Amino acid sequence: MNQSDKDRYARQIRLPAIGESGQQSILDATALIIGVGGLGSPAAMYLAAGGIGKLVLCDYDVVESSNLQRQIIHADDAVGDDKVESGKRTLTALNPDCQVETIGYQLEGSELVEAVRAADIVLDCSDNFPTRFEVNRACVDTATPLVSGAAIRLEGQIMNYQPAAGSACYQCLYPRAFGAEESCELEGVLGPVVGVIGTMQAVQTLLLLAGQGEEMVNRLLLFDALAMQWQGVTLPKNPNCPACGGDRQAR
Amino acid sequence: MNVNIELYASLMKYLPPGKHRFRREIRVDDGITLNQLIRQYHISDAEAHLVLVNGHFVNCGEPRDQRVLVEGDTVSIWPPVAGG
Ligand SMILES: [Zn+2]
Repeated sequence: MNQSDKDRYARQIRLPAIGESGQQSILDATALIIGVGGLGSPAAMYLAAGGIGKLVLCDYDVVESSNLQRQIIHADDAVGDDKVESGKRTLTALNPDCQVETIGYQLEGSELVEAVRAADIVLDCSDNFPTRFEVNRACVDTATPLVSGAAIRLEGQIMNYQPAAGSACYQCLYPRAFGAEESCELEGVLGPVVGVIGTMQAVQTLLLLAGQGEEMVNRLLLFDALAMQWQGVTLPKNPNCPACGGDRQAR
Repeated sequence: MNVNIELYASLMKYLPPGKHRFRREIRVDDGITLNQLIRQYHISDAEAHLVLVNGHFVNCGEPRDQRVLVEGDTVSIWPPVAGG
């Protein structure tokens, strides 16, 4: 870490939970962000601002005007551009030291697994269950930490998977044949609600990279903006989980 | 006996009339199970995603059929969320 890094990140280096060694881990880290929308926007921006070494942005979508109310990484003049390219512009302007790689199509199968393996941590900022289950499975198969956030309407959830701690995974929450379908397009979403969850993903990612994940093992956080409630829940590992459980071979 | 039920987010619509935004004290039959209570409020399995009794997660399926509620229990239910 050079002097300009020490100056730039001084306020978080000062925190005992981060310190110089934690900051160095953040500077050396690569995070894969699946989805550069409402969750991915604040998550990527805080990680870039916080000094993460490299961000890999994955999204196949193009910026639309109806995205701008919550996807704050994209400016008005980005409408029509690929989300990953628009995101890269914002992140590079925020912090030119952050290396940004873009994947402008949906990662699937072995390509997804390899991208996950190449990352130190994965942020699931996607908007549908099939993607979420596949990303989780790739993280379980490669023992890569995952920070998973979701939000819709006025509510959100966040959890993380820490393979080194033997934690529950994202799929531990769901039965085998789970297929609820809903979308922000149909249901609506308040911009800062998804921003709160994406920001919380950045909080957890920075702390995990700095080695401070202990209090977050098997913790699920639920947020309801109308009720103005956060509820923290202990999430037990599901022995029958199709992704990480005993019968994973049968999946 | 009386138990407390908390229905969050999109499940608030299933709450019986009352003042509090998401919580009600309700009267139920002794020996009622968690799944019987969930059905009584017409909440489908897909909607009853995260079910907690006194803040502890109870997995779907058998664990919810077997969990017998006792006086004063607080049941909290959250719907699934995948958006982003
Ligand atoms: Zn699992």
